[in-house]
Amino acid sequence: MTKIEDSSLRRITATVLAIAMAASFTTACSSDKRELSEKAAAIVTGECRDERNQTVTIYSGRTEYLIRPIIEAFACETGIDVRVRWGNSTDLAILIGEEGTATEADVFLSRSPGPVGFLESRGLLGTIDDEVLSLVDPQNRASSGSWIGFSGRKRVLVRNLDLVSDSELPESVFDLTEDRYRGRVGLPATNGSFEDWFTVFRDTHGDEVATQWLRDMVANDAEYYPNNRAIVEAAGRGEIDMGLVNHYYQYQEAAAAGDAHRAENHDFGPNDIGSLLIITAATILGTTKDRGAAHELLAYLLSPQAQLYFTNQTFEYPLGAGITPNSILPALTALEIGSVDFDSLGGGFEETERIIRESGILTG
Amino acid sequence: MESSPANPARGTAAAGPPDRRVEGRKQAPLPLTAAAFIVGVLFAFPALYLTWRNVTSDSDPLGLLTSSRTLEPLRRSVVLAVLVSASTAVLGTALAWLTARTDLPGRRIWRVLLPLPLAYPTFVGAAAFIRTLNPGGLANDLLQVVGIDHTFELRGLFGAWLVLTLFTYPYVYLPVAARLRSLPGSLEESARLLGDSGFSTFRRIVLPQTASAITSGALLVCLYTISDFGAVQLMRYDTLTRAIWTTRLADQPTSFALSAILLVLAVVVVAGERIGSRRLGERRPARTNPSRSFTTPLNRWRLPGLALVGGTIGLALVAPAAALADWGISGLIRNATGGRSLAINASDVVGPAWNTVWVSVVAACVAVVAVLPTAMLLARYRSRVGPITGNVIISTFAMPGLIVALAMFFWTLRNNWAAEHLRGTLFVLVFAYVVRFGAQALGAAQIAVAAVPDRLHDSARVLGAGSFRRLATVDAPLVTPGLLAGGGLVLLSTMKELPITLLVAPFDFPTLTTKIFQSFEDAFVAEAGLLAMVLVVLSGALTWLLVVRRADHLD
Repeated sequence: MTKIEDSSLRRITATVLAIAMAASFTTACSSDKRELSEKAAAIVTGECRDERNQTVTIYSGRTEYLIRPIIEAFACETGIDVRVRWGNSTDLAILIGEEGTATEADVFLSRSPGPVGFLESRGLLGTIDDEVLSLVDPQNRASSGSWIGFSGRKRVLVRNLDLVSDSELPESVFDLTEDRYRGRVGLPATNGSFEDWFTVFRDTHGDEVATQWLRDMVANDAEYYPNNRAIVEAAGRGEIDMGLVNHYYQYQEAAAAGDAHRAENHDFGPNDIGSLLIITAATILGTTKDRGAAHELLAYLLSPQAQLYFTNQTFEYPLGAGITPNSILPALTALEIGSVDFDSLGGGFEETERIIRESGILTG
Repeated sequence: MESSPANPARGTAAAGPPDRRVEGRKQAPLPLTAAAFIVGVLFAFPALYLTWRNVTSDSDPLGLLTSSRTLEPLRRSVVLAVLVSASTAVLGTALAWLTARTDLPGRRIWRVLLPLPLAYPTFVGAAAFIRTLNPGGLANDLLQVVGIDHTFELRGLFGAWLVLTLFTYPYVYLPVAARLRSLPGSLEESARLLGDSGFSTFRRIVLPQTASAITSGALLVCLYTISDFGAVQLMRYDTLTRAIWTTRLADQPTSFALSAILLVLAVVVVAGERIGSRRLGERRPARTNPSRSFTTPLNRWRLPGLALVGGTIGLALVAPAAALADWGISGLIRNATGGRSLAINASDVVGPAWNTVWVSVVAACVAVVAVLPTAMLLARYRSRVGPITGNVIISTFAMPGLIVALAMFFWTLRNNWAAEHLRGTLFVLVFAYVVRFGAQALGAAQIAVAAVPDRLHDSARVLGAGSFRRLATVDAPLVTPGLLAGGGLVLLSTMKELPITLLVAPFDFPTLTTKIFQSFEDAFVAEAGLLAMVLVVLSGALTWLLVVRRADHLD
């Protein structure tokens, strides 16, 4: 018995040591690989440049699947090294807030403007040069110059094709409080893009109208879902009839589940608050050690090849370089999120969070 | 946590007066106390950070505590925690007894499979569960084939209770099974010979001897439940963690204050369990001789026993796996038949899988070593430091991962040297994992250490064995199954950890869970399904290799 144990203790120690050694070995030889993935190679227009001994550190709330090819292409075309911390926009913003001026981030990419507003209120954002700012229309960037939009997602209504007929489709989000939609609509009420959308809703129609709309939705038995994806998936299965989401999850779900996914996007009428364009934002931190490299990255995100990639590969709306949206996307209307002055909203997000929580949608 | 199945132990005549046990203990040696104290301070980092944030921001935990917007979610958290703790205590104990002490067919396979539901990250597991069981899901399709139209929908309290019970019962199952394996079968044998029925043997002999394993497991479940966010979010049940989560950006002071309330709740629960289990006055086994265990023949209870084990595996392991397989395999088929190509290739799986495995094994080993001094103090010596450190270690388990991650940054940035040399290193990542999950190793370690009879130690000393030799020849063989079970829990939890890994891991250190998270974020469900299957299979392989096989070996 004891002999077995003696040797097994030794074996455990040996295993741990071996693992630690193997680990340090793999990390030591995994650096310095400059092979481009297929998707990245398709973005690169010129040749790869030699490394310049410059590094940009990105905290990215946009996921690897959609952004990595552009970052690889950027590293190749500029010779600038890129380090990325991938995560959730909100948590990354909180992390930068915690790190403060000691943050390693040079650039923060956010899925929606809310987390950017948080960093701005903490005074952690730098100002983007006019040269880069002028790459997008004024309504798609901060008037203070602290952030710039680089792609857009449109708010739409996703609906199950078997449960919702064409004639039943609403023209406006305001219709959804009617009795015929009772218990049939899903809301991603704690999702960042929904919160941003609701903030703009309040700004456009006033607090009273927006709050009343949400209360009416709750009274009409709207169903809470944790995020856009869950609603699109549930609509595809027929668990829920329809829901308010960002347009582009539908394409991924349909591509992944094929015909089994019985859902489709419906675009609200022009100028309806329900078809707002939510933009993804790029910022440069005030403490960046290499403003030049950070600006090059932002400019690259808005270059024709990157904007083409966004609309053709990730089905988003391009915001720069005169690129027209992919024809499968619903047409853009005049209402874009940047047309609302986020800077003037002040404690807008805090108030939005409070109104949503007090509406009772979370406990429904 | 005075869960019902532990109560019968109170009445047993065999339980000695608890005071005598403590009085008879020796004063703790200074090095052991010092080690436990240092570990306790390190584990307190997140709590100290949270306190600091509450003191320096204009948050108002006391004011919040009296407002209805806090009290309602708090009440829901408590209700859910009580229900889940009770159900896992019953289920985990029953499963452990069935697979460790009876002639249930297929025990070896069950032992590998039963801990596995712990491998699902809740955000994946709950989503997969919904995909399988909710309207329009896989079970629905299956039932429609046989003509049943099923419209059952998982949500709210019931949904959260069911999902959490199925995903957390291993916290009870693993330590109880380990405990049962190290118990002598002689008492059960005698009881049966004297005419006790199988059930009455279970109640009078097995329950009292496993009570501390059950309550320590149920305590972990309770703390896990009050800190869980993934399941309650997907099941749309509005608890305290959801309030913490929804306010974390828009209203940070409130979020920190609510986290502080959560921590206080955890401390109260842990202290309550300690007082409760002291009153239980568990009897230690008279003699530990794992080589002779006792097998209860199930006879006509065979089928119900199999149904319970099989049903649990079916719901907790197979149902979510079916959704993952459905996502993953249809993605593979589409990829092969020229449809949408997969967004990941082999190297996207192998690298993260390797990172996941080795960092989790290291964290599990470090966690066991870190909690051992405290476990020894608690189990063997009279000490003030032991209970305090123990409470710190266990309460920290209820901390939201985000707070633990932020605390890591807060403390490393306090000091120039640490900021330069420690931030963004694997050292901090492993440290964060250990702090977050050390509680899982402590309960098991404490029970394991307590099971070593003092007399054995005394005899060894009289025979001239030095302290290290005693450790290797007396303690190691007896405590190993318990330590492995505790380390196994940490291992499985670390493999699926998300919030800490996302924020604290070095750049370019992807793990399977961070990859799965990203896949889900943008609805790449085929990729998420494949990666999650790899995670579950790897967890199963490691559990078998490091925990089950070794524990069997010691039988």
